[in-house]
Amino acid sequence: MILDLHAHSEASEDSRAPLETYLKWLQRKRDLLPIDGIVLTEHRQWDPSLDYRPLEDQYGIRILRGAEVETDYGHILLYGVTDAMTRRFDFADVRLSAQEVVSEVARLGGVAAPCHPGRPTIGLCEHYAAGKPPLDGVVAVEALNGGSRRGENERVQAVIDAYGYGAFGGSDAHLVSLIGICATEFDDDVRSIDDLVAALKGRRYRPVDFREQVRAARGAA
Amino acid sequence: MSAIDRTIVGQEFDRTTFAPVTAEQIVAYAASYGDPDPRYAAPRADMIAPPTFALSLRGKHFMPRHMPLHLGRNSFDAGKDIEVGADVRPGDVLTAVSTVHDVYEKTGRSGSMTFIVFRTTVVNQSGATVATVDQKMMFRGEATDEHR
Repeated sequence: MILDLHAHSEASEDSRAPLETYLKWLQRKRDLLPIDGIVLTEHRQWDPSLDYRPLEDQYGIRILRGAEVETDYGHILLYGVTDAMTRRFDFADVRLSAQEVVSEVARLGGVAAPCHPGRPTIGLCEHYAAGKPPLDGVVAVEALNGGSRRGENERVQAVIDAYGYGAFGGSDAHLVSLIGICATEFDDDVRSIDDLVAALKGRRYRPVDFREQVRAARGAA
Repeated sequence: MSAIDRTIVGQEFDRTTFAPVTAEQIVAYAASYGDPDPRYAAPRADMIAPPTFALSLRGKHFMPRHMPLHLGRNSFDAGKDIEVGADVRPGDVLTAVSTVHDVYEKTGRSGSMTFIVFRTTVVNQSGATVATVDQKMMFRGEATDEHR
C-alpha cells in the first residue's frame, strides 16, 4: 500500500490546492502515480470537525489527516492527532520545543516525525550539525521530501544511519500536480490513522520516488 | 524574537468613500491591463466594471499608523486574494473599509517571517459587498540568535 504522508490543501495559507482536485488528479494519473491514499498535514493547525469519508468513498482514495508544526529543531509532522495534543500544544506557535512535541505526542498515542530534515533552518540535520542534542524518541523521519532542493534529501541518510530512524517519503505538495510524487510504501494495510501510527512505529515501510517517471511523462507529452 | 503581538487584529485603519464610479474610470481600468473585452471598451447602457475593479481603489491609509515595532522594517507584498460580489456599475458610490484581518508567523529556509493580512471590504451605496480583498504583507524581523 502506498501513501503520500505529507500534503497541504488550500486549508494551509500557502497552498491553493483543493482536496478534491488532488483526488481527481490521482484518479487520472493512476498509471503514473499508484497512490492509495494521502495524509493532509496542514500547517500549524488541526480542525477536529473535518470528515472526508464521503470523498474517500467517491474517489476510492484513502484520506487521513495529520498536522505540520514548527519547533526549535525544524518542522515536524504529527500523526494521530488528538484533542489532548491540541490542548497540550498551541499548533500555531512556531517556537514549540521539539523534544516536548516528540515526547508528548508519543505519550498521547501518536507519532511526531521531523520532515524535510535536510533543509536549512527548518530541518533536523542542521540543528544536529550545530551541536544540539539529538532528540529522544524519534521513530522516523521524512527521508524523501518532494519539495526539497537538490542535495537536501541526500543529507538525511547520514542522520538515519547514525540514529536508526525509520525513513518515509511525502510529496509536501502545495500544488495539485505535485501530489504523490514522493510517497511511502507500507508492507501492511493502513486503513486508519491508528493503523498509520502503528505502521510508522513498526518500520515495515520505505520511501518511494515517482519524480523521475513524472518528469519523463511530461517530457513525452 | 518574541511571540507575535496580535492586539492589532480587528483594528479598522481606513474607511474611505469614493466619488461615484464613472464609465471613463471603468474604460481606463480595463485598458490599463489590456483587457480586450468589448463590454469595457467604451461607455454603454448596460456597462459593468471588470470583476477586479475594486483593486484600483486607493484608501487614505495602506496599513495602520502604528504597527508593532517587533515586525522589523523589511517587508514585501506577499500576494492578494479577491472575492468578487455584486457588479460595479457607473454611478455606484463605493466605500472601502480596511481592517487587520490576521497576523501569523511561519518559519522557512531563510528563517522567521511574520505575515499580516489586511482585509478591505468594498460595499456599494445599497450596502451590497462588491469585493473582499485580502492583502498579505510579509515582514522579516531582526534575525534571532538561532537564525543569525
